[in-house]
Amino acid sequence: MTDAIDDAPALSAITYDELVVGKRIGPFEERVTADLAGRLAGPIGEPRTVAAAPPAVFPVLFLRALRRGLGGIPAGGILAKQELEFHAPLAVGTTAQVTMWIGAKEVRRERPFVTVEFDVRDAHGVQAVSGRKVIVWPTGPGQEAGR
Amino acid sequence: MSARGEFPNVSETVTQASIDAYAELSGDFNPLHVDPVAAAASEFGGIIAHGPIALHAFLRAATDWLGVEALPPGSRVAVTYRAPTRPGDTIGCALTGAADADPLEAACVSQDGTTVVTVRATLP
Repeated sequence: MTDAIDDAPALSAITYDELVVGKRIGPFEERVTADLAGRLAGPIGEPRTVAAAPPAVFPVLFLRALRRGLGGIPAGGILAKQELEFHAPLAVGTTAQVTMWIGAKEVRRERPFVTVEFDVRDAHGVQAVSGRKVIVWPTGPGQEAGR
Repeated sequence: MSARGEFPNVSETVTQASIDAYAELSGDFNPLHVDPVAAAASEFGGIIAHGPIALHAFLRAATDWLGVEALPPGSRVAVTYRAPTRPGDTIGCALTGAADADPLEAACVSQDGTTVVTVRATLP
């Protein structure tokens, strides 16, 4: 959607029906700075010095990609599940490449669930982390639009 | 007890400052997290933290337990969000199964006993 996160809307206006399964979005470049990694290595926001990205960096990279790719989580969206698979460490200072896509859309118990897949690679294309978020999308079947 | 020793008892108090810091880092400025008026009008009745904030105690405990900065290749973490976390909550994490189980099972629980997150993790 946009190269600059600050230019992206804070909330997605994309409806459940508009989401296209399988269409890759990105990759988005994300610098894993010492500040980002250090403020997620210990208590949130308290700076520490680390050489490798702590695991808490990756949900942040997922959220940043989600905002850049889809305009974030829509108002009223609820994060239901998250999965992370770690393949290789990511050094602080790396420019990561984050690609996302809609992995699945399904209605379960009359609620619309959207699975968003993420793939994080280092600057050489080596996969560091993969994962997904399952979000209850607020504008799908059975939901009140714009909630 | 596992050969790695006891699973660390990590807890973290969630504040509006930590939520604001997380919004800044993640770019997720959903009003539910940063706008008290909009959040009060929502189904949650007030500010709630970003979901991964509730997971943070587990991730810190896991890296402390393994003595690493980054989780090793082959690690897997699967999270189910059970309840919202709010400013002022203190979230602690503890194993709910055996320390040598694969996957490990853990829960992040608030000070009033509410399970906010459950985790199944493989930590090689």
